[in-house]
Amino acid sequence: MIRALCRHFREAFQGIFRHFAMSLSSASAVTFALILVSGMMLIIGNISQITMDLQESVNIFVRIDQDVEEDRVAILQMAIEHIEGVNTVTYSDKDEELNKLIEEFGEDGKMFEIYRGENNPLSRAFVVEIKQNYKISDVSAQISKIPGVSEAVFGGTNTEMFIEMLTVIRTGGVVVVLVLAVLAMFLISNTIKITIAARQKEISIMRHVGATNSYIRMPFVLEGIFIGLMGSVIPILITIMGYDYFYYTMGGKLITGLLSLQPTIPFVFYVSGVLAAMGVFVGFVGSIISVNKKLRWKR
Amino acid sequence: MLVLENVGKTYKNGVKALHDINLNIEQSEFVYIIGNTGSGKSTLIKLIDGEEVPTKGNVKVVGINVGKLKHSKVPLYRRNIGVVFQDFRLLEHKTVFENVAFALEVINMKKLDIRRRVREVLELVDLADKANSFPHELSGGQQQRVAIARAIANRPKLLIADEPTGNLDPMTSKTIIDLLEKINQEEKTTILMVTHDVALVDSNRHRTIVLQNGYIVADAQDGGYFRDQSIM
Repeated sequence: MIRALCRHFREAFQGIFRHFAMSLSSASAVTFALILVSGMMLIIGNISQITMDLQESVNIFVRIDQDVEEDRVAILQMAIEHIEGVNTVTYSDKDEELNKLIEEFGEDGKMFEIYRGENNPLSRAFVVEIKQNYKISDVSAQISKIPGVSEAVFGGTNTEMFIEMLTVIRTGGVVVVLVLAVLAMFLISNTIKITIAARQKEISIMRHVGATNSYIRMPFVLEGIFIGLMGSVIPILITIMGYDYFYYTMGGKLITGLLSLQPTIPFVFYVSGVLAAMGVFVGFVGSIISVNKKLRWKR
Repeated sequence: MLVLENVGKTYKNGVKALHDINLNIEQSEFVYIIGNTGSGKSTLIKLIDGEEVPTKGNVKVVGINVGKLKHSKVPLYRRNIGVVFQDFRLLEHKTVFENVAFALEVINMKKLDIRRRVREVLELVDLADKANSFPHELSGGQQQRVAIARAIANRPKLLIADEPTGNLDPMTSKTIIDLLEKINQEEKTTILMVTHDVALVDSNRHRTIVLQNGYIVADAQDGGYFRDQSIM
């Protein structure tokens, strides 16, 4: 097994060097595709971070009806907690609401002190934090339907639209990444086709002396994997050095300073790992396509 | 060791290459197969080495029904047979030693065993001193001897030689046939040789089977070339 594997590796390397220009051109194509993939992944990764930050900062504020009795508040809280997409529900009574109001108005807030106690006109409330990937407006609409809830409001439609836009960009990015991966596969597949054509005689001899199909296929598959892996080296270096430079130049924040970027470590390592895995994967699939097409043997 | 029972082969395009072939070849026999172009010689070889499946009948080699073999088992079956071609089919970028070793590497033999066996067969074909030469540095006869060494390296029970002297001059052809006879006697390998070489069939007599239009029209145990125009 190990003996055969050593021979396959040797043959695969020989294949690469025998058609070096061709191998280099398809590795370059993989490099180009993976650089774009890397860019997309860095954007997607940061969009996810920003979306998460925004979602965390946007809570639903639920006002409780004045006539809901004190012992029913806990039941109401449970009802909200059971709605899909709700992460945490924090209760805030009239006094706490008044404190928040006073705090918000700063010095002028003191004038609200007269409402403390029996005269407090404010409603009791819940602060609802929602889970990631749930639409705030949907959850909010469901909460407002619960009897005993006077209203459920959230940070505003603008934030939600921004989050939706980021989600669209993220999905678009994934599509671009997939298209590039298919393109790279196609290029590798073509290189392997040429290698197979150049080694037809060898393959025919192998068949005559009793080499199994898997033995014949293995060097070509390995060659595809090496080309894919070779193609991922430069994108990985660009990712690590480029993102590190970008992160420190921006000071870890984006534009307003409100939106924080993904920290370099471990983010670049994740992206690099994915790039290497994609290189191997496109090389593997690309070569398998050619090998299955060209080395199929029927009788 | 080689049995053909009522074997017929019709290709997908409708060409009927072989009709009702019945043949029995014993272990260690040396057999010539002769016949004109289109007589069915190549199809017969393809059926024996498992490249084609008979349309009817059975092809049995060393007890294996070749036509019924699963696709994945054909390579393993082929380890029982060696094939030598008219055009040698050596790998130009490998040395003589590597060319022979290649046949043993692909069946995953141990490195030490490969070395030992390659030296042994190169001695047998009298090319031990050319082990490090490349095919283009050898004469046609020497290249064919390398091809024979590669074909027998795995100690096959059957050696198929498809016009092995077709590209060689008469003197060299004689050395090749002598070598095949030596392998037949020393290694007890059954030899099935397809040829057009009248002189060889006459000078080195062995059982001779004549194919014509897909039929066996003669099977002479004492050999010799058939000059009867009604047969050939």
